[in-house]
Amino acid sequence: MSVHDDPHAWERPAPGRPGGVPLPSWRWLSEAMWRIEHSFGRARADARPEEDTRVRIFVILMLFSAVFVCLALGAANAALLAPRGGVGSIGHPNAVSRADVVDRNGALLATNIVHYGLYIDPAEVWDRRAAAVQIKRALPRVSMAKLNRVLSGDRRLIVMTGLTPGERAAVHALALGGVTFEPEDRRVYPLGASATHVLGVTDTGGQGITGAELAFNQEIRDAGARGESFPLSIDLRVQGVLENELALAVAESQAKGAVGIITDVQTGEILGMASWPTTDRLNRATSAHYEMGSVFKTFTVAAGLDTGRADMNTLFDASQAFMIGNRRITDFHATNQVLTLEEVYLHSSNIGTSRLAVEMGPATMRDYFTRFGLLDAAPIELHESARPRRPTKWDDSTLASLSFGYGIMITPLQMSAAMGALTNGGRYIPLTLRKGGLPGAEARQVVSPQTSLTLLDLLRRNVVRGSGGRAEAPGLRVGGKTGSANKLVNGRYDPTHAVGTFAAVFPADGPVNARRYSILILIDEPGTYPRTGGFVAAPAVGRIADRIAPFLGVQRRADPYRTALGEKIPAFEDVEGDGR
Amino acid sequence: MSALRTVRRVFDWKLRGVRWVEIIGLMLVGAMIFSVYLAKAAAASESARIASLERQITENGQRVRLLRAEAARLEQPGRLEALSRAAGLAPVDVHRQATEASLPELAPVPEPEPVVIVSPTVPAAAAPVAGPAAEVAQ
Repeated sequence: MSVHDDPHAWERPAPGRPGGVPLPSWRWLSEAMWRIEHSFGRARADARPEEDTRVRIFVILMLFSAVFVCLALGAANAALLAPRGGVGSIGHPNAVSRADVVDRNGALLATNIVHYGLYIDPAEVWDRRAAAVQIKRALPRVSMAKLNRVLSGDRRLIVMTGLTPGERAAVHALALGGVTFEPEDRRVYPLGASATHVLGVTDTGGQGITGAELAFNQEIRDAGARGESFPLSIDLRVQGVLENELALAVAESQAKGAVGIITDVQTGEILGMASWPTTDRLNRATSAHYEMGSVFKTFTVAAGLDTGRADMNTLFDASQAFMIGNRRITDFHATNQVLTLEEVYLHSSNIGTSRLAVEMGPATMRDYFTRFGLLDAAPIELHESARPRRPTKWDDSTLASLSFGYGIMITPLQMSAAMGALTNGGRYIPLTLRKGGLPGAEARQVVSPQTSLTLLDLLRRNVVRGSGGRAEAPGLRVGGKTGSANKLVNGRYDPTHAVGTFAAVFPADGPVNARRYSILILIDEPGTYPRTGGFVAAPAVGRIADRIAPFLGVQRRADPYRTALGEKIPAFEDVEGDGR
Repeated sequence: MSALRTVRRVFDWKLRGVRWVEIIGLMLVGAMIFSVYLAKAAAASESARIASLERQITENGQRVRLLRAEAARLEQPGRLEALSRAAGLAPVDVHRQATEASLPELAPVPEPEPVVIVSPTVPAAAAPVAGPAAEVAQ
């Protein structure tokens, strides 16, 4: 109070007023304070000094009340409205760095298992030599040199990473001093080599490097954080059959490599994809290029039918070789007669399809090849999907080559996607490894539904009476086209280095939007003779269709050509009998 | 006015110079501090229990993952097929497969034998006594 004893004390100007504090709020606050101070002065001047003390007490009371009300409100808010779960429940209890990858039915394909790093502190080991011997006995794969180096050192060092829980238990049971373990999360593929090319691998830091692990890296990590698993479109049962039959086909044909792809043509989902040998890191289904031969006749014929340039009864003169400049195109099985388009297809006549392609011209051929995705990398999530090797010029000779599958090298995945488009009513659907198909995928109409239906029947007839007879599976209405090509070795097409393909679809009957599955089998450099697709690839297709039909819910039924048990209805015969 | 006076009297009611109101207030504060202490101690023990349960869940989860991986390894199609082939099994031939609908053709359901209800032959002499008993047995 003594400060205010000076009657002129409150006459001094408010601080900052003449100088002008820039912030208006500060000015307002200082003015308010000075007003209160002045009110004490006024009270004393009015001879009511007790008012002075009362007002001061009241002001202090109000200030403290305000602070306590704020504290009480804050405490009530924290107690009643705080977010649920405080201690220990940050994140999901089952959260992992990478989600389990499962197939479409939930079967496990890849998971994270806690492994252990083995650490030894030599200062705590009593008998170092005995310890080394015991650890080596319990853990045979440990490097003895590394073990001795750590044991003879003077500080705690890591001896080995990636001990399985079993190995850890074995070492732990030795009850040695100074031996400790530290957990480390590790990606495990319990199926070993099965589906390895689809799944890919991750690095030790938990980032995908190849395959689905790379393609869905972020989504797998996000699903892991939520404690969920990440489903792929793969059906492990189908994948297993595909791998086993592919291995069998390779063993039978003594081939260098092989590819198998099974897709749902209506959704674009990949149900199985295998590349043999599995030890090879190259995924031949997505990254290897092949000239596939006669399988391309399907696309040439489809283009001819779709443009309206030809119908099934259009005649093509295959009675003599087709000359383009100096190049002479002949048939592998010379029929030396005039053929209808259907016969051209069933006899796999190079002359017929070359004539058709040259008639259609480069613009049409290029348009249809683009529509079927044969000139671009197959659209799929996998980063490995490679671009095809396309022809540089589109002259008549190239057109003729393209019409029967030479002069263009594509990946098996492109072939699978194109066959899907041809057999699902003409809609090109991007292939996907996502369960349930690619969300928001837009199908592109490439040929008319009528062309698709015609081709389905043609593919079926090719199995019943053409070169694909060995792909027949009783009652499953398999349709397909063989392809056989020689590889370019040192600038020449070498018949001892061949590629045998069979691109199939089943069931081939029914409406265009019926459930339908495509099977593509490609055998790379078969060692047995004959090396044609009808011999090396078609039997595998038949066996695969036979075994996967129950999983896919395809019923055995009769069609106009065969009974449900596979007996012939009319007496068809294999026109060539050599499966070309 | 009298109410105000009553309140003032209660307020001024003192025990050895200390207002009762203050004594009661202090006791209430003491009780509150003790109850907060109890609540916090209980919460700490609960959260320790939650943490231990969550650790157990994580450990069990890891064990489940390990066992699932082991099951997947043992059930992989390649291994199962090799084992089946070694055991002499093979895919069933189409001629030996049948659907549910064709079961009646393969093995016709036998006609149910007519159930003959034999009426009890009761000796004439015992008829009045045994009659009701036989009916019960039926």
